[in-house]
Amino acid sequence: MNTVDLPRLREIVGEKNIKTDPLDLYIYGADASVYHAAPWVVVRPDNTGQVQKVMAYANEAKIPVVPRGGGSGMCGQTVSSMGGILLDMKNMNRILEINMPDVYCRVEPGVVDDDLNAALKPYGVFYPPTPASSRIATIGGEIGNNASGVRSVKYGATRDAVLGLKVVLANGDLVTLGTYTRVEASGYQLEKLIVGSEGTLGVVVEATMSFVPIPEFRCLGVANFDTLRDAGNAIADIMASGTIPSMLELVDDVAIKAVNKTMNLGLKEVAASLLFESDGKVKEAVDYEVQKMKDICAKNNGADLWYSFDAKEREQIFMGRKKLFPALSQFDTSMASTSLADDMAVPYSKMADMAAKIHEAAEKNGIIMTAYGHCGSGCMHTKIMMDTSKEKQWEGAQRAIAEIYEYVNSIHGTTSAEHGIGISKALAFKTEKRDSLKMMAAIKAALDPNNILNPGKLMQAPDNWVKATNLRYAVNS
Amino acid sequence: MQTEKIKFKNLEKWEGMLAKCIRCGYCYEHCPMFKFTRWESDAPRGKNILAHGLLTGEVELTTEIAEKSFSCFFCKRCEAACSSGVQITDIMLDLRRDLVELGYKGPGTTSITARSCARCLQCVRACPHDARDFVDGEGIVVDPVKCKSCGICVEICPIEAITIPLSFGTDTAEMDRRATEFLQSHTSAKAIVFACNWSYHSDIQNSKLPESETHDKEYEILVNLCGGRLDKNLLLTPFLNQAWGVLVGVCPDGECTHDGNVAAQKRVTKMKQTLESLDINPERIHLVQIPRGDKQLFQAEIDTFMEKLNQMGPIR
Ligand SMILES: Cc1cc2nc3c(=O)[nH]c(=O)nc-3n(C[C@H](O)[C@H](O)[C@H](O)COP(=O)(O)OP(=O)(O)OC[C@H]3O[C@@H](n4cnc5c(N)ncnc54)[C@H](O)[C@@H]3O)c2cc1C
Ligand code: SF4
Ligand code: SF4
Repeated sequence: MNTVDLPRLREIVGEKNIKTDPLDLYIYGADASVYHAAPWVVVRPDNTGQVQKVMAYANEAKIPVVPRGGGSGMCGQTVSSMGGILLDMKNMNRILEINMPDVYCRVEPGVVDDDLNAALKPYGVFYPPTPASSRIATIGGEIGNNASGVRSVKYGATRDAVLGLKVVLANGDLVTLGTYTRVEASGYQLEKLIVGSEGTLGVVVEATMSFVPIPEFRCLGVANFDTLRDAGNAIADIMASGTIPSMLELVDDVAIKAVNKTMNLGLKEVAASLLFESDGKVKEAVDYEVQKMKDICAKNNGADLWYSFDAKEREQIFMGRKKLFPALSQFDTSMASTSLADDMAVPYSKMADMAAKIHEAAEKNGIIMTAYGHCGSGCMHTKIMMDTSKEKQWEGAQRAIAEIYEYVNSIHGTTSAEHGIGISKALAFKTEKRDSLKMMAAIKAALDPNNILNPGKLMQAPDNWVKATNLRYAVNS
Repeated sequence: MQTEKIKFKNLEKWEGMLAKCIRCGYCYEHCPMFKFTRWESDAPRGKNILAHGLLTGEVELTTEIAEKSFSCFFCKRCEAACSSGVQITDIMLDLRRDLVELGYKGPGTTSITARSCARCLQCVRACPHDARDFVDGEGIVVDPVKCKSCGICVEICPIEAITIPLSFGTDTAEMDRRATEFLQSHTSAKAIVFACNWSYHSDIQNSKLPESETHDKEYEILVNLCGGRLDKNLLLTPFLNQAWGVLVGVCPDGECTHDGNVAAQKRVTKMKQTLESLDINPERIHLVQIPRGDKQLFQAEIDTFMEKLNQMGPIR
């Protein structure tokens, strides 16, 4: 801690952009994960020049630097498990350019996703990768995690929207990666390498992103199923039919019951519900796609089929899905809802089996898990509900997660499709990517020889994720 | 950091709920305090984390922490945004109760009264939250649990003895500065819109729009905490800086938690008289009532007002 040269940092970013009070450090020690570890100092640069100077200093002094946007990462990505400088990017929050003729925008990394979309709206376009956390997620953080969301099934993830980046490397050098054009031929696509690197390869200081037109018509449908298998088959059939839904969401019985229990929404308590959506510029085309999805649901024993173009009606239906989070949090007074093993992706044909596996592993290990998710992109979300004060529950969670991951790997799925790796998913990541770990380590060593950029994350994180760093909960034995 | 563990009698009951806060951060982008400082320590999630740290003993109670805990405008934007139904402001109020028992008073965003107080007691009568009292031998005392930082008392005090020390950019001086800066730096500038935090909810939270979109802006929206806090000097400032007009947005009758809209109406009416006496069209200042968060209506009102100003042209 004492090794940080505070006067030098003050000189670089100014007194107003530094926090050293224990209360600030404690607060900045948290993100949306189960962890807590305080940095030594919080530094908030105003511009690229300052980022370069901070990095040059940290590299020389070999001090860890953790870049942070909104701090909404769920796997401990921005927790300062090795201490050091927390680089808060929220002051670099300018939308620099909205270029309609060339169909791109340039932004600083601290720009909030919802803000970017509010700024794009008057132009009739939107930035689609948008995670559920768009009201706080920053473009820098979305790039760090390669975030995606409900509409990624049609519009892709952050990686697909990134055209170019300006990045400050560990030694303070500034590099420009990518282009302003749609296509770029051979050569290493370094801008895409930065996407999903979770702040371990460089600090993004500017991003050039593409956007797409806001569709004129949107239609949302619902179908209820008596078995998860039927719902799973419907998903696989929809995706195999050539239809491109703009959203395809699954909600399981635990989730439906949770919403009913806490919100009294009176949803029908079936084994699974599917929400399917299509959007586009031509009503007939949207209609055609929705009809097709509806028919596929019916063929797979889907009941209570319903759909609507009306914004208000769609909102009402989607309400249940939106209320899922608070519902799960308030599921039981003695339980907290934790984000662990929360974003696997599996082949479409395995969705139903996956959901069944989740329930089976949870029951066996004395915890409660729910399955829901962006099934159109094969992504299955879960929440683990447990009494976080009991060590036994953590052990149960660990076992359940290990079993689920083993299954995911056995069916060629991936253990993290959306929220990233950070600390909590590191073991699974290392298992899954075992034959490319050396390559990753070589890239990391080449770009960050002193290992100062977000150290102890991704392939560097310890295998035992419960003991990797402090848990935010007071756990009694 | 662990020292002798302090007991937080009132806060204790929230331990379970604080564990349920998933720390998603949904609560902070719209918090007016976060908007002003952009530090998480001033934002609801940060305060929940602190409260949790105080309960577990991981955080040592300091005057700085107390100051944070007494800072809130009770707009409840955070609770509306919370992904997990956390009763953020109730938790903070219980922490305040404990802090008061432990001898802390804030002030944070609560009001303080200077010794120069003339004891006219206008503020005691005006406080909509029953937070001010006259105590023999002590003068005016403010209950830092009841005070909701609306600033009505600041406005009403005839000798300016009341202040809210931590205003997060919502004080008259800051509004004055921002209005002046906008009008002087934009050749396109025509009007200032004073909107209360409740009636107006901006789409853009903390990001800055491209220069190309802001250089020919005709009006600037300045969000204050209550229309009741707009004083006559502040309403005059834009006119002294060549503005064509001023629009004031407040909550509808009966909906303002501080009855500030009534005070604002009075001040706007007075301002109209002043303008008239200067041979200036009184329509150049206008008050509109906007139900909570009705952005469309507010934008429509702004558009209508700007149209009217454009017909009138600049003040000669
Ligand atoms: C309730 C909830 C719902 C969520 N839903 C989704 C979802 O639907 N889809 C999804 O993908 N994610 C989701 N997330 C996870 C997370 O919100 C997103 O991945 C989001 O993009 C993170 O953005 P952030 O600004 O908070 O990043 P942070 O958490 O601050 O950072 C994320 C990573 O990026 C790095 N980073 C940040 N800024 C920079 C920079 N300038 N340069 C280099 N690296 C940087 C950090 O070091 C870190 O590794 C959700 C989280 C919550 C709490
Ligand atoms: S109620 Fe207080 S903490 Fe919550 S958003 Fe408003 S000012 Fe911020
Ligand atoms: S929005 Fe709610 S759950 Fe999320 S950090 Fe704030 S209080 Fe916690």
